[in-house]
Amino acid sequence: MAASLIELEKVCKTYNQDRPNQVRALVDIDLSIAANAMVCLQGASGSGKSTLLSVIGCVFPPTSGRATIAGKALSRMPDRFLTIHRLNTIGFIFQHFNLLPGLTVLENITLPLMPLGVGPGERRERAGRLMAMLSIGHRANFPVSQISGGELQRVAIARALVNDPPIILADEPTAHLDHALSLAFMEIMVDLQQAGKTIILTSHDQLITRHPAVERIIGIEDGKIHVP
Amino acid sequence: MISFARQLNLIDYSLSSLWRRRGKSLGVMVVFAGVIFLLASFQMTTRALTDAAADLLAYAPEITIQKMTAGRQESIPLEYQEKLSSIWGIRAITPRVWGYYFNEISGANYTILGLDPHSMPLGDQLGQAIDTGALPEAHEVVLGQGVNAEVAGGDKSIFSLFRPDLSLKAFALAGTFKAETNLLTYDTLFMNLDDARDLFAMAEDMATDLCVTVANPSEVSTIAKKIAALLPDTRVVTRQQVQKTYQAVFGWRSGFASICLLTALASFIIFAWDKASGLTPEERKEISVLKIIGWQTSDVLVLRFWEGVIVSLVSFVVGYTLAYIHVSFFEASLFRPILLGWSVLHPALRLRPSVELGETLLILCLTVVPYLAATVIPAWRAAIIPADSALN
Repeated sequence: MAASLIELEKVCKTYNQDRPNQVRALVDIDLSIAANAMVCLQGASGSGKSTLLSVIGCVFPPTSGRATIAGKALSRMPDRFLTIHRLNTIGFIFQHFNLLPGLTVLENITLPLMPLGVGPGERRERAGRLMAMLSIGHRANFPVSQISGGELQRVAIARALVNDPPIILADEPTAHLDHALSLAFMEIMVDLQQAGKTIILTSHDQLITRHPAVERIIGIEDGKIHVP
Repeated sequence: MISFARQLNLIDYSLSSLWRRRGKSLGVMVVFAGVIFLLASFQMTTRALTDAAADLLAYAPEITIQKMTAGRQESIPLEYQEKLSSIWGIRAITPRVWGYYFNEISGANYTILGLDPHSMPLGDQLGQAIDTGALPEAHEVVLGQGVNAEVAGGDKSIFSLFRPDLSLKAFALAGTFKAETNLLTYDTLFMNLDDARDLFAMAEDMATDLCVTVANPSEVSTIAKKIAALLPDTRVVTRQQVQKTYQAVFGWRSGFASICLLTALASFIIFAWDKASGLTPEERKEISVLKIIGWQTSDVLVLRFWEGVIVSLVSFVVGYTLAYIHVSFFEASLFRPILLGWSVLHPALRLRPSVELGETLLILCLTVVPYLAATVIPAWRAAIIPADSALN
């Protein structure tokens, strides 16, 4: 059995703790995801799915419990170190891609390299390799507002991969894509998994949930994990 | 501590960010450069005027004695010169007629300066202030540039002025003063002492004041005190006191205008604060995306800082350069009426602005530092946008 890359034990996340508007978003989550796995988180809106993704993505530590991501315990980790760990460990792909509209394809892809102090030459080189791999090299200097939906998706994937993180988190990645683009997306995910990445997706799309490469569906309801 | 390579990347991104919002950035820079232009123009004009006055006062007597009666100046008898003979250190005493002549045709007041330069030690140096011609002999006059253009019509060689009894006194034009001396000579007619007395119908044994030259310049104030003690009915003015008066006049006017301009600057800073405080949805989204993909809160703060530095420094350089051009090549035309308002003939000065490090830094501190404070402090609010908002 492969070693766990993501290990959550009794993880709770409470917003506005000890206030009248307190919300318990995650309750006693126990979860283990092996390296090189591809899993899907599923749950209705408000179920705690995004909060779980945020904890796994090192966006914030849990309120209580133990969360170990890529060998580092997040509990009580200061925000500064959490950000560094996120920068080195996690690649995010967002529902609406969240690309910055005024920037070119190349500039969007290289954004995560800037706080690492990577110089312009190396930034271009790393992004160039990914753009070639994802067939968007000819769009490098185009503003992202001038490229197609499928190309936007590949730019978002390239940005998630540019730091070479071991974990890829994709939040509803096919929600706004047609069937062909969704299939293309999953093909890329499969390739990445075969290249050694651990993929965690959130989706209601059956194309993802029934995809043969997705080895586990993790259901979430009222902040707790349940078997669908 | 943010590494040098990371700083360069953040500066790179700041420039790209300002370019993306170029309309807004340019608007802020234009207003900011305008405020800096006004402040720097005032500072440079005041400095240039003070320097010009200091240069020209080199020609002024070291000590001037004027007779006072009932708190007002009146003619001084030449016999007062003898009363001062006991004071060691006085090199020479030269009587002078200094008065004003009202030209009803142009409505201008001219300054009449009558003295015998040959009777003064180094009096011939006055010739250095004359552009064309020579020092005036009997019935001759040297004119300031403004008077020459108005009275002599630029090409007349003889013209007349009215005595108090309305009889005419004719003068031959001996020369004109150099343009560099305009601050003091623009409205001046320089003539022989006897001619000046004749023009004002003064007695032969009287002058308006006595000019004292001392042997040792370091003893000027001591000698001035001795003169004041010997001649209690006179006012004794040293060149240094006149210089201080000039500085005070220009300083006061400049200070008053600076207060008005600082009010404009304060308004701009409040405007900048207001702009920096309010975040558009696009800016919020950008910051949340940057943070979730691994940018630190400090990176966002530094990014905003560099944006402020770039905007304020570019504005400063543009505003300061325009101010230099305004003062150098356009004779500070916007501020002349404020700084040189008292004379009827406004001197057409050739200003030479000097860029002094201390004063440049003062303007920099009064403009760039408040702008950075006004934009970086609200930037903290932008920088602490939670990263997870990009997921929602």
